[in-house]
Amino acid sequence: MSIFLQLLVNGLLLGGAYAIISISLTLIFGVVRVVNFAHGELLMVGLYATWMITSHTGMHPYATVVPVALLLFIIGAAMQRFVIQPLLSAEPHIQIFATVGVSTALLNLALMVFGADVRSAQASFGTDAFQIGPVSIVTGQLATFLTAILVALGVYVFLQHTFTGRGFRALAQNRAAAALMGVNVNKAYILVFALGTSLLGLASGLLAVQYPVFPTVGQYFVLTAFVVVVLGGLGSLPGAVVGSLFIGLIDSIAGFYVGSDLKEVVYFVIFLVILTVRPTGLFGLGRGSE
Amino acid sequence: MQPLRKLAAALACTAALSFTAAHGADLKLGALYPFSGGLALLGDESFRGVQLAVDERNAAGGVNGSKIVLVKADAVDANQAVGEARRLTSVENVTAVFGSYASGVSAAATQVTELAGVPYFELGAVADTITGRGMKYVFRSNSTARNFAERSIEAVVKVVAPQLKADPKALKIAIIFEDGSYGTLVSGFQKEEAKRLGLNVVESQSYSAKSVDLSSLVLRLKGAGADIVLQTSYQNDTTLFIKQAANAGFKPKAVIGAGGGYSLTDTAKQLGAAMDGAYDVDFPQDTMAENGAPGLRAFTAAYQKQFGTPPRSGHSLVNYVGAKAFLDVLSAAKSTDKDKIREAVLAYKKASGTSAAGWGFDFAENGQNKLATTNLMQWQKGKLETVYPEGVATAKPIAARAD
Repeated sequence: MSIFLQLLVNGLLLGGAYAIISISLTLIFGVVRVVNFAHGELLMVGLYATWMITSHTGMHPYATVVPVALLLFIIGAAMQRFVIQPLLSAEPHIQIFATVGVSTALLNLALMVFGADVRSAQASFGTDAFQIGPVSIVTGQLATFLTAILVALGVYVFLQHTFTGRGFRALAQNRAAAALMGVNVNKAYILVFALGTSLLGLASGLLAVQYPVFPTVGQYFVLTAFVVVVLGGLGSLPGAVVGSLFIGLIDSIAGFYVGSDLKEVVYFVIFLVILTVRPTGLFGLGRGSE
Repeated sequence: MQPLRKLAAALACTAALSFTAAHGADLKLGALYPFSGGLALLGDESFRGVQLAVDERNAAGGVNGSKIVLVKADAVDANQAVGEARRLTSVENVTAVFGSYASGVSAAATQVTELAGVPYFELGAVADTITGRGMKYVFRSNSTARNFAERSIEAVVKVVAPQLKADPKALKIAIIFEDGSYGTLVSGFQKEEAKRLGLNVVESQSYSAKSVDLSSLVLRLKGAGADIVLQTSYQNDTTLFIKQAANAGFKPKAVIGAGGGYSLTDTAKQLGAAMDGAYDVDFPQDTMAENGAPGLRAFTAAYQKQFGTPPRSGHSLVNYVGAKAFLDVLSAAKSTDKDKIREAVLAYKKASGTSAAGWGFDFAENGQNKLATTNLMQWQKGKLETVYPEGVATAKPIAARAD
């Protein structure tokens, strides 16, 4: 029983890490309607920025969250303005190629600048574990999980109750109508995209405590984040959160009972079954919403 | 002007050719390594070993009076390996080829050289299959994946069990490995060897090297009560496993890696004290003791002099030792004929502990050197010390991992 409890906790905490990344991915997809294949590489940029700041100044990775989020906000805004915006009215696959291009460029840039070496930010707080009864919890994972919950709530409140947030939702529902109602489409898209990528900056600071950084690190997280987002329903915020926790739990439980070699098989099978039953995902808006 | 210049160049070339011919032709040898791309760092490190061996031999008068000339060939992957091997054998007409650090490169290049009837001297690739395909002119000086696996099991029986004053058969062993070819290959031999010796393997689990979480694997091993963990892994999964084991309070009595992530100073730096006490099986390193590896200090000094840094890994050393042996073979063969060379390889015998890597030489019919080994090392206070075999050890193994 205590092992099962530990598996549940491990799964939920892992889900927390996926949640922040998935929220940022689904936010961009839901509003801008662009599948951002460079998402993983933007996370990698964030992790390198965190590593550089911590190794030069000795700051704790958590303290770098603000500058790194700001940096990614700027990068995200630039990417929307100069890569996506000129292609907004183009075919969706053109936009996908553009983001894949950005992804490849960033990956190789990192290889050129930093090489393929694995680097890690040194941190005292966040790598240790504490016990509650039979369950051991890593402080850094708990911090990531709690932040993920706060981010989800924050984004929810922002989208539901602020003027700008309502504008975003209007855009998500119908770009042309929102524009007619006075929403500045280009400006709003830049803001959404930048907000989404700045969440990756937040994730970088949190993840840098647990994980090292190397050029392909983004792909380790983002493939799962894509699964989460599709599973939860593209563009759905609660879907991203529930999907992340769900995938985290399956990863942990299947890894123990089925085996670490087959855990991916388990969650992809469940993923296929859910998509067969509900093609728009758990929290998708149902048929015809796309 | 242009045609005239070409003619002059051609004349100069012919003159140069006839000049060398008159002085007993140079001995041309290929050096096929990944010099660019992702494998370039260790490919180049491997080549440096060959270069040092050749320079040393040329300074001592070359092979039977002819000067050795190395022809470099850059093979980043199997495709390029085929093309470059063709160039070496048909355009450059080399007598033999040295290679190749990466098993994929070696497997592809040897297919070309074998057909062309050019001997291939493998100095660093570890996949057992390279000398397991019935090729007549492929010879390998270095140890293979099977040696890695056997040494790690030997470590359990001869180093860890005596420390714990336990019967090796009473120890519960867990084998975990990344699910690519490296992990699968080594762990397969580990399981085979453990079975042969009647050891108790309680878990055998693979995982993707791209995993971001191994906590459920750790819990499984903890639940199975594993005393010893054998891990074949790259850097990221090594760190992840050791961190998450510490977090879950899983303290096996010994953790033994098989090269890869376990050999890198970066991994140790990242993990700090958690890495202390971890064992690692790998090629001989340049830091081992001289008494079991005569010529090691001279090699390190020559390397330092030529390249201005200490060796970046053990690759240069094993390539140096292998290249030296094969140059001896070429001298003994007194011919560039492939069958004479094969005869000389099979006749070449050196006792263990007589080369700078501590290896001896005795080639089997399939071309594999039977006396090439791997060493057992242990991380002690942030340094990778060689602890077994005793002849090359720089420190005694320390019992039970530090908490």
